[in-house]
Amino acid sequence: MIIVDILICLVLLAAGVGAMLQRNLVASSVLVGVVSLMVSILFLRIGAPDVAMTEAAIGAGLSTVIFLIAVRRTEEEEQ
Amino acid sequence: MKQIFSLALLAITGWLLWSLVPYGQATEPGPVSSHYIAHGLQENGGSNLVTSIVVNYRGFDTLGEVTVLFLSVAGAGFVLRRRSGQRRVAPRPSSEFVQTGARMLFAPMVLFGVYIFVHGHLTPGGGFQGGAVIASAVLMLLLADRDHHLPHGFMGWLESLAGFGYVLTGFLGLAIGGSFLANKGVLPLGQWNRLFSAGVIPIIYTLVGLKVGTELSTLLDVMVDSGRDHGEADAHGQKGGAA
Amino acid sequence: MVDRVLILAMALAGAGMLLALIRLLRGPNIPSRAVALDVLTLITMPVMVGLAITSGRVIYLDVALVYGILSFLGVISLARYFDQGV
Repeated sequence: MIIVDILICLVLLAAGVGAMLQRNLVASSVLVGVVSLMVSILFLRIGAPDVAMTEAAIGAGLSTVIFLIAVRRTEEEEQ
Repeated sequence: MKQIFSLALLAITGWLLWSLVPYGQATEPGPVSSHYIAHGLQENGGSNLVTSIVVNYRGFDTLGEVTVLFLSVAGAGFVLRRRSGQRRVAPRPSSEFVQTGARMLFAPMVLFGVYIFVHGHLTPGGGFQGGAVIASAVLMLLLADRDHHLPHGFMGWLESLAGFGYVLTGFLGLAIGGSFLANKGVLPLGQWNRLFSAGVIPIIYTLVGLKVGTELSTLLDVMVDSGRDHGEADAHGQKGGAA
Repeated sequence: MVDRVLILAMALAGAGMLLALIRLLRGPNIPSRAVALDVLTLITMPVMVGLAITSGRVIYLDVALVYGILSFLGVISLARYFDQGV
């Protein structure tokens, strides 16, 4: 089971660093959605199903949509 | 340059947290936690210990949390409202798949959200998670049908009544049980693992679920809708409402 | 027997996650990243069910249900963003 933990942490770190280094803000919000997904699995792994369900309910649809609406109303490229 | 600096800061913070915080080691629970673990089931009657802590032992903090959520949604809704004279390009109507799928899936999603907050004392979940699922169902309708109007008056009344009901339950606990938001003696504790058990906890979580669901739906409607022209001509010269 | 099948299933899911990660990081434009996000959410559901089987708790299945129902909203909103819908 340790291999699942290592894999999830690897995806988490890669997506997190990628979200920081991107110039396009929409791509960053997609990568933040991936980070939220991996964090939800990790919460389930350490035995906290309530927190995992909260993270899933908010990070799956709502968080990405709010970021996209905010990016649509302002600029798209980071200076 | 800025990115290298942030990466270095991240690495230093990670190393500091790794060496200072004992991850993965089982620590002994303190006196308060031991009391919750030992007596949580018989004092509350619900299977979910997290729910009984959130609603009963720390119920006043949950009331404060619901208030903070209400204030933040009110503030965001006020700032993001469409001012008179603002117009934006009306969106193109979505495809047949999305419209039909959204209409078919709306009812099961709302039912699932209601299941989550009604069973808050039995399975993981509760008011906030169920409210977020209901708001996601309303978001799906808003994305699929560009002319969908949410009944703002009804949702405002529902949200206010749910919040008022929470405080009223607290006063009921004060009148019957002896302290604000008390769980003893207001409603019977019932048998373990049944739907009608755990005293006032299902009622409180139902009210919280309704409140959070309608709140987040209103916020999403304001955000998606800001700048939409109801019934006026949009930038392409066509009347709004032609699907 | 169940243990070996479970390990094989988790290994396959892990391989799928790695491939989706490569597409997520390398994708030249945003729709390919959106497809990678969709694949990752699709793979996450069996991983959560596998965690529920190995730890033996039925309550973990509710989280997989929530993710299964809500995961397509992010992809739809991305598609509507490019369609001038949001």
